[in-house]
Amino acid sequence: MAAENQPIDDDTGAEDRLPLGPSIAAAAVSAAVLLPVLWLIRTGFGVGFDAAAALLTRPTTIEVFVNSAVLVVLTTVACVAIGVPLAYLTVRTDLPFRRFWTIAVSLPLVIPSYVGAFAFVSAFGPQGGFQRLLAPLGVERIPEIYGLEGTVLILTLYTYPYVYITARASLKSMDTTLIDAARTLEHDRWETFRRVTVPQIRPAVAAGALLSALYVLADFGTPQIMRYDVFTRVIFVEFGTFGRDTAVLLSLQLVAVTVFILWLESRIRGEERTKAGGRSRAPVPLGRWRYPMMLPVALVAGLALVVPVAILVSWLAATGTTTNQALVFEWSFALNSVTVSAAAAAAAVVAAIPVAYLSARHGGRLPDAFERISYVGYAVPGVVLGLALVFFGSSYAAPIYQTLYLLVFAYVIRFLPQSVGSLRASFLSVDPSLPEAARTLGRTSAGAFRYVTLPLVAPGLFGGAALVFLTTMKELPATLLLRPSGFTTLVTHIWTAYESGYFGQAAIPALVLLFVSGLSMLVILRQEGYDVK
Amino acid sequence: MHESDDTRRTRRRFLQAAAAAGVIGVAGCNTPGEGGGTDTETETGGGSAGDGDPEQIGSGRSPFGDREVGGVTMEEMPDLEGELTVYSGRGEALVGELLEFIEDQYPDLTIRPRYNTAAELVSQIETEGQNSPADAFYSVNAGALGTLANRGRTQSLPEEVLEFVPESFRDPDGEWVGTSGRARSVPFNTNAFSASDIPQDIMAFPDTGAFEGEVGWTPTYSSFQAFITAMRILEGEEATREWLNGMQDLGTSTYSDEFQVSRAVADGEIFVGLANHYYIQRVLARRPNAPISTAFTRNDAGAIFNVAGACVLDTASDSTLASNFVRHLLSAEAQDYFARSTFEYPLIPEVEPIGRLPPIDELNPPEDLDLSQLADLEATISLLRETGVL
Repeated sequence: MAAENQPIDDDTGAEDRLPLGPSIAAAAVSAAVLLPVLWLIRTGFGVGFDAAAALLTRPTTIEVFVNSAVLVVLTTVACVAIGVPLAYLTVRTDLPFRRFWTIAVSLPLVIPSYVGAFAFVSAFGPQGGFQRLLAPLGVERIPEIYGLEGTVLILTLYTYPYVYITARASLKSMDTTLIDAARTLEHDRWETFRRVTVPQIRPAVAAGALLSALYVLADFGTPQIMRYDVFTRVIFVEFGTFGRDTAVLLSLQLVAVTVFILWLESRIRGEERTKAGGRSRAPVPLGRWRYPMMLPVALVAGLALVVPVAILVSWLAATGTTTNQALVFEWSFALNSVTVSAAAAAAAVVAAIPVAYLSARHGGRLPDAFERISYVGYAVPGVVLGLALVFFGSSYAAPIYQTLYLLVFAYVIRFLPQSVGSLRASFLSVDPSLPEAARTLGRTSAGAFRYVTLPLVAPGLFGGAALVFLTTMKELPATLLLRPSGFTTLVTHIWTAYESGYFGQAAIPALVLLFVSGLSMLVILRQEGYDVK
Repeated sequence: MHESDDTRRTRRRFLQAAAAAGVIGVAGCNTPGEGGGTDTETETGGGSAGDGDPEQIGSGRSPFGDREVGGVTMEEMPDLEGELTVYSGRGEALVGELLEFIEDQYPDLTIRPRYNTAAELVSQIETEGQNSPADAFYSVNAGALGTLANRGRTQSLPEEVLEFVPESFRDPDGEWVGTSGRARSVPFNTNAFSASDIPQDIMAFPDTGAFEGEVGWTPTYSSFQAFITAMRILEGEEATREWLNGMQDLGTSTYSDEFQVSRAVADGEIFVGLANHYYIQRVLARRPNAPISTAFTRNDAGAIFNVAGACVLDTASDSTLASNFVRHLLSAEAQDYFARSTFEYPLIPEVEPIGRLPPIDELNPPEDLDLSQLADLEATISLLRETGVL
């Protein structure tokens, strides 16, 4: 199977010389990503060795570390278990209303997980809406939502789209003639999936799972609301008590864990082959399961979307007379959000191209290092990354400090791996003989890239852009630190209203966020369809 | 012009509604020392009669609602002119309107507010170092102000600004000044308890059997940590440790902020909480019939009276402008605004609180506790960690 295609060999010399342009570009991107880490290291050292050692070996540190590990593992497994089947259903089968479902199951990504957590606690907590609904039936206590199970549930519902979107992009650019071949060899459908599809989408799934895992590791809000004690909570406490340097030191520890996870993922990713790509055929008929299969899809989307939306609408209904004049919604907030998110998505994709291309096409130590480095900014909690850029901005880049340029720069550093992961998986699925053919027909290497490779990786490109766009839409901590004074986005507005208890007024921008993001997804999907075929 | 008139009218209606809701909400709670009367407006100590001529020195008609207020009006204060960057740890929803109001008073004044949590703004100021664009810092608590002062990032305020408020509400070295007050309190569910069931001694809480499994607290919340700091100072390390252990044995539930605790009390999820006084008023402002009321302990850590306040930063480009801005937060208008819109205690004696709260001098905060002592969080955090509360 696909064995005819030459695997790219890391160690063969001459043919694999790195192209200069992309290498310089990738090196520049890596340097930018590492910039904040330099500040982390410098500040972390300021704590002093003894204090640091005492902090890192406390019994509670170890306990929360174990808690974090359990949370990350369970959530990541659950994300793959949900994300991959959903991607398969919405890409490869004749499930009805596929475009609708694609948007519906991607959208949970735009719900800030703390809003999701708060909504679930309101709905399913003790004395919550759900319990009150069941009360007439004699139900007095429903299972506790707080703790590990609840945290896993919430984080899974709001991070599985990472796996879904990357797996989807990979399935779309996958060569399905192999499936036909397998079927002619009398493999049944499951066997075909296991032996043909799984190896092909594995890099993409691993990339998505990695994004989920690192998100969970660095998330403050959800464990806080769900009352599950994890590592980020310790950092949160340090920040709350003005212990910035200690918080930074602890974040460095998160970075160390990230490095470990990155290493683990490169092991799991498995042997990567490039395959002939771009040929695909009619979707797999689900037969009599066609309509029933909408049920599990609807269930996931329903839980992740309907619960928060219902809670938001109930907040809206309960607003009554208590509105705050300082919190009147303006459409310019939505425009601000879309503008910075679109800029961040575009910039992140452009920055990701050289990194992903080198890593997928050439391999080797340096390109792999560039690719791994791109994850570093993502694993640092947003507040810490924000502060690092506060330092660089105010010290060395005063003209762009507290301007949109620095803000977009921060988003790119933070979300770069989302575009790198998805693009890299797509580059891997492009048969290298195609651009080579273009070269023999007289194209320059840039021309071959532009006219042959790029259109083939378009699903990954737009998938990556979509991820960055959706996550930038909801980014809060770095936005609060780096935005121009007075610059309000949907999320900062949600935060402002929510924090001061004006839930009704938090509901409006939250619903607008969902609507605008859904609309943008539609645009991205159309674009994707247009470019591919 | 027309639009701004409209806005102002809506705003006034809202403020009245909110104030009224607060009043209805606490009716029935036996707050000490309050007469009847459903309208707070009649109970002010402003003392000026008639229609309240805004020109009148020393008192005037509140621009935010229907009452007379005493104190120094903004008009009597030095004019503000220039550009001012204010890092505000108080939310836009709470103070945005006030900052806009101040800005509207002066044609040549531009205020650039930057809103975030107080803790993050302290980190931001620290990280920006001498390149900080911030002129003034406006904080939810004395702890953040004290931290900046201890790190040498503040400049002393002029005496005439400091002396607006009693000595206990400002930094002894004059580095910051309190602008509004918040009392620690005990929200309780009125379906489960009456006020007399709540011990008046915070140290008795762990031994109150009726509280088993029914109390909520917020270990990561700054006001809670200030409260534990006060307990350490007043009762000593050992007693505080015992108290924390005792509360844990009671099965106390953890929440992430005190508004949540107050909501949980109103919902009956828990029956008692530890929270700042205004959260209860804010729950009631939204749900006037919620079964929640306020109790206070006496002369102990559970009764500390903390302040929101402001300071001028060492990086201020115009320190006179910055300190005069702080002065405006102590004006009659601003103090009245706090009473109305955030349900806090005004700190100048001429303006009364709103919401049928006991007046400030009927509270029983512990004596010999200096607010600047509350900045000493380190030992508190290690104690909270040792006992497994954090």
